[in-house]
Amino acid sequence: MPDVDPVILDPVIHAAARLRITATLASIPVGDRIVFPRLQELLDMTAGNLSTHLRKLEDAKYVTVTKSHQGRSPVTYLELSTRGRRAFEDYTDALRALLGEHS
Amino acid sequence: MMAILRDQQQRVDRALLAPVPWLLFVWGVAWLVGYLLLWSAWPAGNPWFQIPVLAAGAGFGVLMAASIATSAVMGMRINRGVTGVSDFAGTVYGLSWSVCGFAFFALGSGLAANGASPELLSIYFPSAFGLMAGTLYLAGAALWRDRGQLVLGIVMLAVSSVAPFAGQPGNNLVMALAGGGALLAGAAAMWVRRGRSHA
Repeated sequence: MPDVDPVILDPVIHAAARLRITATLASIPVGDRIVFPRLQELLDMTAGNLSTHLRKLEDAKYVTVTKSHQGRSPVTYLELSTRGRRAFEDYTDALRALLGEHS
Repeated sequence: MMAILRDQQQRVDRALLAPVPWLLFVWGVAWLVGYLLLWSAWPAGNPWFQIPVLAAGAGFGVLMAASIATSAVMGMRINRGVTGVSDFAGTVYGLSWSVCGFAFFALGSGLAANGASPELLSIYFPSAFGLMAGTLYLAGAALWRDRGQLVLGIVMLAVSSVAPFAGQPGNNLVMALAGGGALLAGAAAMWVRRGRSHA
């Protein structure tokens, strides 16, 4: 048996929209960042909806937001923090354990 | 929740890998048509018709240049919106194609300057570029942990190293059918697999 309590699922990630966002960010290699519009495209979410959920992930320090400028237009880069990546892994482990799958 | 998770991971994979079969398709057509052109330029080659050497060479050059341009654009689109540590690997890999291409071309020119006959050079060039492509596909497979590129690289290396034994100009026919054929088969296999995962 894994040493995590399978009943406790991280509430920050345990919401359909945030799970999808976290899974997408986790697929990007460590050390890389993605721009907001491209993330939005991969998720097919509205900008407002995505921002709201990203703010929750940022508040939990799971997502690191970097703002910069490309010429005159502002660009927002997003990446999973070390903490966020660990939380995502713990979450998937817990979910697998809950479903009785061996990880 | 597990279904949502897997769904999204598949969706990202699809979005990132969508251009790959197109890449294989473009290169497959370029090899098939390009090497058939070269094969048709030699008197002992195509038994049905012969085309002028200059026209064949020009046609081959245009096909290769178009494929390089297409793969550069597709490569940039795959990673658009993502920056960071992988920029270095991507840039080095992109530059490798032109740098290696030039190196192999220079070596061929050096052989020519030392008296290699046109027949010998027409064995060298197709295999040299095939070996280069195969090697770079292996590097790509290692960089992006991509089995498709791994298989492709091995096929390219095998075809290019065996082709000279078919003699000249038969080597061009081997490159066209086995090399181009393998690329097209790879593209078809990826499309079939994707169609199945959609259903």
